[in-house]
Amino acid sequence: MDALIEPLREGIMQRALLEVALLGVVGGALGCWVVLAQLSYGAESLAHGMLPGLVLASLAGAPLLLGGAAGIVVAALAVALVARGGRRGPGDLLGRDTAIAVVVTALFGLGALLALAPETPAGIQGLLFGDVLGTTTADLLASAALAVVVLAALALLHWRLLAVGFDRASARALGAAPAAADAALLVLLALAVLVAVQALGNLLVVAVLVAPAAAARALTRRMGPMIAAAVAIAVAAGVAGLYLSYYARIAAGAAVAGALVAAFLLARAAALLRARI
Amino acid sequence: MLEALDLPFMQRALAEVLLLAVAAGALGTWIVLRGLAFYAHGVAAAAFPGLVLADGLGFPALLGALGVALLFALGVGRLAARGRDGHDALTALALVAALAAGVVLASDVFASGVAVESLLFGSLLAVGPGEVRLAALVALLAVAAGWLLGPRWLAVGFDAGAARALGVRAGAADLALLALVALAAVAAVSAVGALLASALLVVPAATTRLLTDRVRPWQLATGALAAVEGVAGLWLAFELDAPPGATIAVLAGGVFALAALARASGRLRPLGGAA
Amino acid sequence: MSGPLLRAEGAAIGYGAAPVLSDVTFALEPGERIGVLGPNGGGKTTLFRALLGELPVLRGRVEVAVRCGTVPQTERSRLDFPVSALDVALMGAIAGRPWWRRPGRAERAAARDALARVGLGALADRSFGELSGGQRQRVLVARALVQDARVLLLDEPFTGLDAASERRLEALLDELAAEGRGVLVATHDVEQARRWDRVLCLNRRQVAFGSPAATLTRDVLTATYGGAIVTLPGEAGAGAALAILPAHHCDHEP
Repeated sequence: MDALIEPLREGIMQRALLEVALLGVVGGALGCWVVLAQLSYGAESLAHGMLPGLVLASLAGAPLLLGGAAGIVVAALAVALVARGGRRGPGDLLGRDTAIAVVVTALFGLGALLALAPETPAGIQGLLFGDVLGTTTADLLASAALAVVVLAALALLHWRLLAVGFDRASARALGAAPAAADAALLVLLALAVLVAVQALGNLLVVAVLVAPAAAARALTRRMGPMIAAAVAIAVAAGVAGLYLSYYARIAAGAAVAGALVAAFLLARAAALLRARI
Repeated sequence: MLEALDLPFMQRALAEVLLLAVAAGALGTWIVLRGLAFYAHGVAAAAFPGLVLADGLGFPALLGALGVALLFALGVGRLAARGRDGHDALTALALVAALAAGVVLASDVFASGVAVESLLFGSLLAVGPGEVRLAALVALLAVAAGWLLGPRWLAVGFDAGAARALGVRAGAADLALLALVALAAVAAVSAVGALLASALLVVPAATTRLLTDRVRPWQLATGALAAVEGVAGLWLAFELDAPPGATIAVLAGGVFALAALARASGRLRPLGGAA
Repeated sequence: MSGPLLRAEGAAIGYGAAPVLSDVTFALEPGERIGVLGPNGGGKTTLFRALLGELPVLRGRVEVAVRCGTVPQTERSRLDFPVSALDVALMGAIAGRPWWRRPGRAERAAARDALARVGLGALADRSFGELSGGQRQRVLVARALVQDARVLLLDEPFTGLDAASERRLEALLDELAAEGRGVLVATHDVEQARRWDRVLCLNRRQVAFGSPAATLTRDVLTATYGGAIVTLPGEAGAGAALAILPAHHCDHEP
């Protein structure tokens, strides 16, 4: 019991735990839609492609949220441009995934170039792997606001998203515009990535969106329980990861990401076992 | 620049990019045709914890890199090549796990002073003879395998069902392709880093795809473009004291953007046949 | 409600500049069952998409006066979507309501009633993917009922069903038509189409439209399917049955 309480005495850990819990709620709920719509790669691309924005903000001393927002808008536009491309455009010739890979590599390289050039101060690791222990009260407010917005939007859009995800063609007949649902999901995804990237970093943020939902999918059969399970798994794993980082003295962001992936593996193993029995 | 070539490390760096360009030319086409871009990126990233492990436990770096990369390749690669549902979530998580493991091993477990950044973004100017030899081996294997197995890779790429009907043993040929891409990705890691391997292996091939759609010209153009971008990136990085891997990536991306724009504006006519 | 539920006049439908289906002229009256016949790629699905407003009408007119419910072919991806039969039926409740209204208790009860109506009351909480082919089709019909669709568009709903499921679905469609709804069914089974009120034969253009007895002649079927027509001995007193053999392609690729 004492082991559980000891980290809570420090302000840093209190804030970090709260941040991880909030991000877990968002990641778990939104992640279910991301995974079912097969947007994992898209989420990854947004996270990596926004690096130049983050680096520029860091260099200019501007708030990371601002740079990240600009970076994510640029990344989203670049991806949209290249992935569509019209007939005989890049997306058509290369396949959507390859076209996105090209854009992401270029943007990510640009971010690295800006961050590693000799005049710039060190600190790219914080952008890449997150700085959850550096969570400020302002960060917590942003995360809380994000959680409210995302949960409210998902609650309102639930049946539309369900209808579109289940049967896109019929969804139109039911009056659930698939294009609008797609757009809403992408905006929510961008928001979630933007806020979560501060804590978990560019490279690891996708873990909180994908792992809990993928784990829940293996354990549940209906959407409602899946979302609930994903949120529970995300928060539990996130908190466990932080405790692990505290006691084992390892990087916090990586520990949280590792715990999330471990939760996914456990859930898959449990589902396999259940199927055999 | 020419004086710089007197320096042995520059000679090695030059040899490295040129050899990797050959491999990129031979394999890039297949990576694009078979949709293996994400897989190649993942394998390269998986090499990162392998390298840290090797450095920390004291066994040859190549072994570590290849070991973890092959684990990744086996686990995720077959799913990627078949394009099965939900594989993108699995690949994304494998990628995250590899990167998280790598950074924990490097910073906390071994605290070995292994520069995480040089592993992630490459240290082209510090490649040793061993790495150049690996690049030469990969280039050779890629060209040879491409010549031998190219038709099978092409058949399966377009229609797996028809390939089976024609008696093409897609399984073994597929495995060879995935293994080769993994090897090339590991070789590229020392030059451009675990996170930017696509800059050499994918982006040039994608760029030249916008110009032609016949396999042979495509491969040759890719090799040439990768060589030009690699050398130019190396030179720029040396002159401007910038990280070479990132420089090559930005250069490659810029060329791609130009090619896409030129194509979109209709000014570029595709070579070698109908668009 | 008087007048046809939907109607087309000289309609040409396509994906781009060139139409893939042309000369479509027919009307669906309340209480009618129309069988849509034609080869794969002949335009059955294209017509349905145009009726739903997904595809543009390049020439002529298509007028749809009422809400349509669709029962498409169930694709593989939908089988592992985390929804129960009740969830699917409940999706019908979002039709015609503002986007922020969530289905409530009344809608949930209506969905259960619809499932009971199609004979699946006991399976309401079963996963959609665990149901048999015939049961899945009936769940989608229940969805259309919850939607209160006056017209049902069914795209080859009988594919892969056993005889008992087929009869059950046919009986259900008859009931729905008797209520005054209109039913458009794409099917490959010519004999089945004979039992309905009208047939619409499509093969990139409309070949024929009318009552089965008058329309399903050998010539019409040849024009529709382009293959060999074989006459099978019919049941006593029922007349000869026509069967279609697929067209034989003589140009084998090496």
